[in-house]
Amino acid sequence: MPREKRAYLIVAVLSPLAVLALWTFVTHQKAVAAIILPPPEAVLASLIDMLQRGYSGVALSTHIGASLTRVTIAFVLGSILGTVIGLIRGRVPILDAVFLVPSEVIRPIPPLGLIPLFILWFGIGELSKILLIFVSVFLIMMVNAHAGAQSATVDTVRAAHSMGANAVQTFRFVILPSALPLIMTGLRVAMGTALTILVASELLGGDRGLGFVILDASSFFRTTYVFAGIIIIGAIGLASDRLIALVERKVVHWRGRQQ
Amino acid sequence: MRLVPADGGPPVAAASARRAGSGRPSLKFDRVGFSYGNRGILDNVSFEVEPGEIVSLLGPSGCGKTTILNLIAGFLTPTSGVCLAAGREIAGPGPDRGVVFQSAALFDWMTVAENIAFSLRCAHKSRRERQAIAEEMGALVGLADRLGAYPYELSGGMRQRVGLARVLAAKPTVMLMDEPFSALDVQTRETLQEELLRIQRHTGATIVFITHSIDEAIYLGQRVFLATSLATGAYDEFAVALPEPRDDPENRLHPEFIRLREIIYRRMRSGSGQGNKAGGR
Repeated sequence: MPREKRAYLIVAVLSPLAVLALWTFVTHQKAVAAIILPPPEAVLASLIDMLQRGYSGVALSTHIGASLTRVTIAFVLGSILGTVIGLIRGRVPILDAVFLVPSEVIRPIPPLGLIPLFILWFGIGELSKILLIFVSVFLIMMVNAHAGAQSATVDTVRAAHSMGANAVQTFRFVILPSALPLIMTGLRVAMGTALTILVASELLGGDRGLGFVILDASSFFRTTYVFAGIIIIGAIGLASDRLIALVERKVVHWRGRQQ
Repeated sequence: MRLVPADGGPPVAAASARRAGSGRPSLKFDRVGFSYGNRGILDNVSFEVEPGEIVSLLGPSGCGKTTILNLIAGFLTPTSGVCLAAGREIAGPGPDRGVVFQSAALFDWMTVAENIAFSLRCAHKSRRERQAIAEEMGALVGLADRLGAYPYELSGGMRQRVGLARVLAAKPTVMLMDEPFSALDVQTRETLQEELLRIQRHTGATIVFITHSIDEAIYLGQRVFLATSLATGAYDEFAVALPEPRDDPENRLHPEFIRLREIIYRRMRSGSGQGNKAGGR
């Protein structure tokens, strides 16, 4: 392993350990009340408790499964549709005009602001939760794919045309690959946002999901369970981000290496 | 309107031989004008290029020489007049007129072989055929052992070789070159100039070569067009009477080369405008 890469890995591991050490130190000094910031070992105990006995009568794996299902469905559908529409908007000005005002009016609305409406329209079931995440993912992906569709250089597009590429071939071989770096970045941002919105969406009611665990625990001041839930979501976020970043490096191998 | 070497230099043998074989010019501009809105770029520009001829287009930035190339490539449409390729009006880009860009404009997501065979992929040729052409053209430009590499792994000179091979693979009748070697170091640049001439002798394609460099224009061109301001339709034309084979590096030291360089240099410095073409100011 090259030296720079090893140093990178060491620092990437040391930095969270330092946070953990600081957390331990602060809580053991009794600088803050345990109900505000519980010590790490208490959080760990709650985590183990949830693993063994579940939370509010439901197994932890069921909570995680419910959340992951919502995020996955919304993320897959939102990113596919957002990418397709973003790419089209980036290449077809007249269709861009169709989407411009509606999407820019919706985009600044915080997802939490949509919750009351979604309850009215779609109830408090799965549909509302998934749609709330879907909308956030969709909007992020649309903006990124839109910018990506315009990032092919004039020369590469002209080169393709002068080598006989038709419109479909130009899109497939030039426009789309040129858009991939921004699409992949969009996926990473969208995944992070999706997990954020997940917790909010589980405000909509229901009795399972990691967001439910966190919200329920917080309303009963079970701070250690709040932290345990947060840590699980954080771990899912970290794992999914690393996974997408890995795919990104394979798919967009030329990024940052162009001359 | 064709110029013959003014002071009895040797005739341009290869070009005239090819010229005899074909009745119609490879490229023809007939009173072509081009403007963006009310900003005139070209006005009343006429010229012909014979099949197999190499024409250098020399001039300062902004004189309109790239617009001429873009019109031939079909990236732009003239505002007035007609542009013909092989006797037919140019109606958009096509593989009969390949372009080598200053930026190389390679596809970074494709290997060298895939870049070279791109035109065949667009024409739905089989994988085997594409591989064969990639190997053939790769060997022709000296990249036989880099076919599996990605463009970002190559040096600037090698990238331009890929750009050249990619155009050659489409078997164009016209090759348009937009300052392709201007970002390269002198040695690489001269090597590529020599190889271009060698390859051109092999393929017989017509070449329009845009450059800032007087030396490059003379070394490559059978004729040199010196464009000062094509917005007034004015340009000068010089026949280059250097001995064959033209890819002989010694040609760079030939008295005719030195003589032409001086004439063109003085003409450039004096601002031209008294070209051989009516309408100069």
